[in-house]
Amino acid sequence: MSTKAVEAKTDPALLAHLYRRAGFGINRDEIDQLATEDYSDTVEFLLNPTAETGIPEDELKRYLGGEAPHAYLAIWLYRMLNSRNQLQEKMALFWHGLFATGLVKNEHILSSSNQIEMFRENGMGEMREILMDLAKDPAMIFWLDNNENHLGEPNENWGRELLELFSLGVGNYSEIDIKHASRAFTGWTFAQSPPLYPHGYYPADFLFREDDHDNGDKEFLGHTGNLDGGDIIDIIVKQPSCAAFISRHLYNFFVADEPQVPTWNDLPPLDPELIDAMCKAFMDSDGEIKSVLRVMFNSDSFKNARFKKVKSPIEMVAGILKLAGEHTDFRHDLAKYPQSSTFTMGQILLDPPTVEGWHTGREWIDGGNLTERINFAVDQVGDGLSPGIKRIIDRLVESGSLSTPESFVDTTLDAMGPISVEDSTREALVDYARKTEVDDDRSRAVRMIRLMVSTPDFQYA
Amino acid sequence: MARPYGLLRAGFPYLKSLGMRRLTNYPVDLTLGAEGRIYILNRQQDLAQIRKYSFDDEDLGNFGTVGDGEDELQWPVSIIADSEENLFISDESHHRISSFDKEGEFLGTFGEYGSGEGQLNRPAGIVFDADENIYVVDSKNHRVQKFTKDGKFLLEWGSHGDGDGEFDLPWGITVDELGDVYVADWRNDRVQKFTTDGEFVMKFGKSGSANGEFNRPTDVAVDLDGDIYVCDRGNNRVQLFNAEARYVDKFIGDATLSKIGREYMMTNASPNRIRDMAVLEPQKRLRQPRSIAVDSDMRLYITDTGSYRIQVYQKEAIHLNSQQFAPPMRSVTLHQE
Repeated sequence: MSTKAVEAKTDPALLAHLYRRAGFGINRDEIDQLATEDYSDTVEFLLNPTAETGIPEDELKRYLGGEAPHAYLAIWLYRMLNSRNQLQEKMALFWHGLFATGLVKNEHILSSSNQIEMFRENGMGEMREILMDLAKDPAMIFWLDNNENHLGEPNENWGRELLELFSLGVGNYSEIDIKHASRAFTGWTFAQSPPLYPHGYYPADFLFREDDHDNGDKEFLGHTGNLDGGDIIDIIVKQPSCAAFISRHLYNFFVADEPQVPTWNDLPPLDPELIDAMCKAFMDSDGEIKSVLRVMFNSDSFKNARFKKVKSPIEMVAGILKLAGEHTDFRHDLAKYPQSSTFTMGQILLDPPTVEGWHTGREWIDGGNLTERINFAVDQVGDGLSPGIKRIIDRLVESGSLSTPESFVDTTLDAMGPISVEDSTREALVDYARKTEVDDDRSRAVRMIRLMVSTPDFQYA
Repeated sequence: MARPYGLLRAGFPYLKSLGMRRLTNYPVDLTLGAEGRIYILNRQQDLAQIRKYSFDDEDLGNFGTVGDGEDELQWPVSIIADSEENLFISDESHHRISSFDKEGEFLGTFGEYGSGEGQLNRPAGIVFDADENIYVVDSKNHRVQKFTKDGKFLLEWGSHGDGDGEFDLPWGITVDELGDVYVADWRNDRVQKFTTDGEFVMKFGKSGSANGEFNRPTDVAVDLDGDIYVCDRGNNRVQLFNAEARYVDKFIGDATLSKIGREYMMTNASPNRIRDMAVLEPQKRLRQPRSIAVDSDMRLYITDTGSYRIQVYQKEAIHLNSQQFAPPMRSVTLHQE
């Protein structure tokens, strides 16, 4: 890869990188504004969501919504595209992938959407609160059968996955720990909500049933006593293995593609030094995710990890829509993207394939969905009339950079991100630019942008 | 018919519920036809449907397809019927008003996207006046426009703001029997009243959840007594005001199972058990009500959008003459008569 400048206070390429990873992209004009600020200040802005989201919440509810899953996803996608709190939305996606909960089982969109809202609200908070909210979340309770976890008849599904998939990872607990953790969560259920028919979904609310809770002594990771679910979570978040597990997940999601999770017990992290620093931040801050993210985003490792992650389908879709500058207003067709576009690329939000979530990295891409990804990107660029593409073309034409093939390509790459491509890709683009020199500037620019979003390089964030 | 000198408000009991999920999915508006026919406008993602229904809770069929064709709907908002029971529907995605006959045959459209005279940007509430001219709330242009039934522009008023006669994304609209026009001024959390030509008459309401306050009101209706009903969607209620806009009462939902709902439940064991395990009280309440209508029998229809049904209330009020109703009093009193 031929990345441009590495670290600089006002390096646009670094800001574009940050927003691709910590958000869903940013347009070039916004980068110009942010470039006047220090990089770490921009990180702090992302780490500290404000009430000034840029989203008119009342209008959002007025125009969008409904009981269909893709109706809710249209709302989420709108936030991804338009919220100033980009990291807040990205963290909701992160936790959705890690705490994978499937609508296919609960068939209760209100609970599934409430879970995403919960991730948005507390996604950068303390791990203890995140796990406590998760343990009380009706969608999760039902997904992992904790509503079937009764006094004297424990169901260990939640207890097992809490340790294996959500907090510690294989090898950091025993079967005994699973059994006793499960007993500690007996009676953690939800109040029955009315049936779907005849009058639709009603919210489900957490309910602790004292009469169904096991108050006996338990042993968990060296602690003994009448432990309840809250005690179990208190013990978990103090474990160095929890810090390591969550840090590695964050690294995998935000920095670079790690091997798949089941291999983590055997394979060391790609960047042990950064993982150690993130773990220290976790332990020093009582598990505050924001503190861990701060270390990660400000690290040289993150800053240099450009175009090393394969975009997930939703990152691909949201990124290109943002590039095209579409859907800043409310439109009925927003729902088609989570309904069909990400679906054909292999990702159905709200319905991860298993409790393990989505496998990431190169597993996102096969021959079929690569075609879908490229076609989608080219379609969105279209004939160059969308607001975002017009902005890019205006920038190109006004800069006068179309005069030579090299400057044409480099300026286009800059206006589209800035993004970087392999040297061989750049050479091919320059060659193409040379062949189209007889055409008018705007049609050349549109075709160049279409070509760029079709490159293998564009599949990476 | 002249408005009464006074009213003895005997009560306003809940009467019945109509509809259920699948039949009346996300009802956003309704209009009343002859012989008890009710046309219920259902809108959801991938659904734009007019359900013909009866006051006896019977499904009489449906029409309407979602799409971008000339005879299709995308984001329908309001439905009204003319004297021949032709149906007019505003569509805030297509920025136009579409019409169908009562059997669902497409008749035509008027309106196009824009901010010029006669153009529309997210049309919302619509209503006929006594001459069957049509007022259209041109929401994103923050104005009201008046057209003939076939779409010829007549007049307009309003601009963006919160002053008298200004609007912020207005939604519902109604015309009373005297020809005055009332608009649910959505983001200003108030209702404004105008003459038939758009001259400002009065306003009432402010942001909040106390009696007389609103959280994004979506619709307004006026009955033959001059009583004003406001669909206070964000507060999950409908509020009742007298003709002078003094708060009188509110409706928060008292639903019982509709007839069609009971029939469904009688043949489905699992929902019966689940319902029995759940708390009943929330099931009565309004959830995101969207629109209201009153008929000449003084029945109030509330589209209880979030619960896929219509809740109907029956006004019980006796007209009083000047012998039965003392003159207005300047001051309140503790003197009991």
